[in-house]
Amino acid sequence: MENFALPTEDLYSPEIATITRVETLTKSEKRFEISMPGKKALNHKPGQFVEVSIFGFGEAPISICSSPTRGPLFELTVRATGRLTDKMHLLREGSQIGIRGPFGNGFDPGAFKGKDMLFVCGGIGLAPLKSLIDYTLDRREDFGRIIILYGTRNPSELLFPEEIRIWQARKDVEFAMTVDQASEEWRGNVGVITTLIPGLELDVKNTIVTVVGPPVMYKFVLMSLKGKRIPDENIYLSLERRMKCGVGKCGHCQINDTFVCQDGPVYHYPRVKQLEEAV
Amino acid sequence: MNALEEKLNRFVKYRISEEAVKLLIDHLKQKAPVYAPHKSGEASFSYELVERSKDVVLQYPRTMQPIKKFFLPPKEVLLNFNIKDNTYSKPEVPEETRIFFGLHSYEMASLKRLDYSFTQGRRESNYISRRKYAIFVGISYEPDESHFSKSVGIDVEDTEGFDLFLLKNDTGYFLLEITETGKKLLEGYKENLVPDTEELKLEPLRFKSKIKYHYNRLPSVFDHVYKSKVWEKYAEICVGCGTCNLLCSTCYCFDIRDEVELDAEHGSRTRYWDGCMLNSFAEVAGGENFRGNLARRTRHRLYRKFRYITAKSEMLHCVGCGRCSHYCPVGISMTDIVNDLIADHEEKQKREKI
Repeated sequence: MENFALPTEDLYSPEIATITRVETLTKSEKRFEISMPGKKALNHKPGQFVEVSIFGFGEAPISICSSPTRGPLFELTVRATGRLTDKMHLLREGSQIGIRGPFGNGFDPGAFKGKDMLFVCGGIGLAPLKSLIDYTLDRREDFGRIIILYGTRNPSELLFPEEIRIWQARKDVEFAMTVDQASEEWRGNVGVITTLIPGLELDVKNTIVTVVGPPVMYKFVLMSLKGKRIPDENIYLSLERRMKCGVGKCGHCQINDTFVCQDGPVYHYPRVKQLEEAV
Repeated sequence: MNALEEKLNRFVKYRISEEAVKLLIDHLKQKAPVYAPHKSGEASFSYELVERSKDVVLQYPRTMQPIKKFFLPPKEVLLNFNIKDNTYSKPEVPEETRIFFGLHSYEMASLKRLDYSFTQGRRESNYISRRKYAIFVGISYEPDESHFSKSVGIDVEDTEGFDLFLLKNDTGYFLLEITETGKKLLEGYKENLVPDTEELKLEPLRFKSKIKYHYNRLPSVFDHVYKSKVWEKYAEICVGCGTCNLLCSTCYCFDIRDEVELDAEHGSRTRYWDGCMLNSFAEVAGGENFRGNLARRTRHRLYRKFRYITAKSEMLHCVGCGRCSHYCPVGISMTDIVNDLIADHEEKQKREKI
């Protein structure tokens, strides 16, 4: 007999949270700092996401880009690319917004203790990874080397300039970035993100690699990592799908037999290799 | 006596005429709202609230929409909101007793699959509220050219999940008491009936549509046909209309949309049935589509029925109702696809042996 006892919570009711800060990052990306009702902690793990909603404009899954180590407020980086996200870009400090979640598995940073951490971030993929980067920086003594590779299409799309300056300045962080197309003022690396990988000197057995970026990026980054002889078991990816409900019901985020909103968005690479539709 | 006959013979049963079945419906209507198959248009049938028992159709091939419409409505308001002051309320879902009368065994089986989908993992209160107090009266049927439930392990006379069951015989029906709830329902009705003690024998039913393999072997076939050329074959005919999803009794995927009233202040967050055969289903922001062609979408649909969820729930999620085949505008049949996959798999095995 099925269990027909009524659950106490409704799966689709958001909490009404407040935007406490808005920062314009690029032409199409803004960062929002958000406070849950009564400033209570969201209790998220790095790599998890929330369903953001604005009544009349629907919901969208957005990665949390801040670390839970930084207090009860959390941050979302939002690219204006649809009905909900376009509207969200018009909101200001003090505006209210619906939040459900956190959802998904997220990273388990405890499992990476003592390891060298290599972050491979493409475009807006830096946002979800920043939650884990900040986490490792706040628990710096728990981790070995911290290496951050970041690639964007062009210098005007660069996210988090403040954080990047800090990462570049810190002696205990190795940071490298590249742009696909340089501008006149650009003095840094030019080329896709994979060009940053061959030159790395890594203790491959002891290095955990996390990769987040646009769908097209994964195949090439994975090839480069293979070239570096990084074992598959050391690689984690976060996958993007259209998580509509966030609670494993609506079916939109299903990849083969897995629901990204439940079993992901973070996947261990050996698992991704079994999923034909994943990358 | 086979195992099914043995099981059926353990229930208390009564012989009743077709007219008495209508009186039974009148009797049940006094206890709770009764929903049953009605004629709908020229050649279609539909579950509707019973106003007059004489309108209820007892023998019918299948309704167009499955019974899921009462538990997962095609359109359902999840929240009513006010845009101006950012408030919302959740409409109350009544937890009432409803009697569903004259359902075929595959319909009951489909609800068992939906139960799994909505009560495993995160439990959904809307579904559970509607499902909790539902009562079911089953009826036997004559399989038509599209039914194939026997091939997926569901007999016409499968009583699982029902409270009462009507089994057609030469003169009318046997009424079987399946559960305590069913027995109680008959109080005030069966006083003039005498339990029938004659041993019940089933006529072997012929299903015109069949899957070539025993259903136990299907998940392992699906382990080997992911890259089969059969997907392309059906993609060439399929028009991607999504009818097979919408009429499927175990499909439960949905879309959620906000709708705003003309006053631009009030609105609702509403969910609608959705289908993985529709092109936009697996699209993400920015336009990337992870199942951008019909072969992939057809494969996904079939794997959802025969492999993915099956491994966890230990049930095939196709119940053989035949709706997808019967209503497909270009005549694609579920059993044809599965049998082609089996043939392709056998051929591949043969080649490997050589």
